[in-house]
Amino acid sequence: MNKTIKLALFLGIVAAISGLVLGIVNYITEPVINQNAVKAEQKNLELMYPNAEFKILDYKDDDGIIIGAYKANDTNYIFKGTAVGYNSSTPIVVLVGLNKDGTIENMVALEQQETNGFGARCFEKENIANLYLNKKSVDEIDMLSGATFTSTALKTIMGEVFEAYEAVK
Amino acid sequence: MKNFKNGFIKENPVFCLYLGMCSTLALSTNLNNALGMGLCVTIVLIFSNLIISLIRNITPDEIRIPVYIVVIATLVSVVELLVHAYIPALFDALGAFLSLIVVNCIILGRAEAFAKKNPPLASIIDGLGMGLGYTFAIVILSVIREFLSTAWVSFYNPFDMSQLIIRIGMPQLENYTISLFSSSVGAFLTFAVVAALFALINQKAKEGKK
Repeated sequence: MNKTIKLALFLGIVAAISGLVLGIVNYITEPVINQNAVKAEQKNLELMYPNAEFKILDYKDDDGIIIGAYKANDTNYIFKGTAVGYNSSTPIVVLVGLNKDGTIENMVALEQQETNGFGARCFEKENIANLYLNKKSVDEIDMLSGATFTSTALKTIMGEVFEAYEAVK
Repeated sequence: MKNFKNGFIKENPVFCLYLGMCSTLALSTNLNNALGMGLCVTIVLIFSNLIISLIRNITPDEIRIPVYIVVIATLVSVVELLVHAYIPALFDALGAFLSLIVVNCIILGRAEAFAKKNPPLASIIDGLGMGLGYTFAIVILSVIREFLSTAWVSFYNPFDMSQLIIRIGMPQLENYTISLFSSSVGAFLTFAVVAALFALINQKAKEGKK
């Protein structure tokens, strides 16, 4: 019995030391890793807010719809969202920019291969302006007729974006 | 010194002991990945050998394997975090294989076969020799495979992948490349041929001694 306790204690000490070492290394490397993540996305983020200063936000979405959260100039929020529209082989990836009080200011599609003349119309400048810009909640977002799948996917993303905004604001 | 040299030809971990083959086969597609992986494995191997050798007298025999695994897993996580932070391009290229160094049997094998009964300095040298032996093996495979599948062997600056450092090749062979060698089948073929060559060298050496 005594021996078992001794063995457990030894293993416990080894594990505790390794935990401490990992904690220290993580403390040193985490800011650098976050910086790199911003750098990798920088070009896309600049599309939304040119010459702004970006910071990564700590937000994890359990549904896997929001895949990135950033803050620009300490005032605006940018969320990267993904969902499958009509074309199941290429999921839609969009960046959505929100201002301080959670109104959509900007939306850019990074990846989408929706059908031209149908789903792809959702990403036309005019439709983005009518459907998504200046909206404050998911209830205000309308669907685009003839583009049900794409609109639904985008609405799902927007719903998660508003949820994420509430969580990090 | 003898331990150090052993790692290359006579006891090359990959070609003669057939250890750690999974990552060798998977990551020998190009020179950059091969060198990066070799370096990571060497670093982990040196430090794990050192630490295990330092605690060899106080480690109870019954739980030595879990202790080794904790030590190795910690070192691999440290290397992984550092690579992720400072060489992101390499981190993306190595992917899951970086964390899989934990289960690379060269490392646990050397801990069990060497570091647990030898003093720290000898263990470091053994780790260095075995690590370089692994690097040597994976680099040989990668050079052969990269050349056969693209007619070129290139080395990029790992900190900035757009910066080419060396590029050697035969442009006249560009139309005759065998893309099979960039896939896993090519890895197995290359490995078999090189391992056979090593076996031949070792056999000759043995006969010479007699």
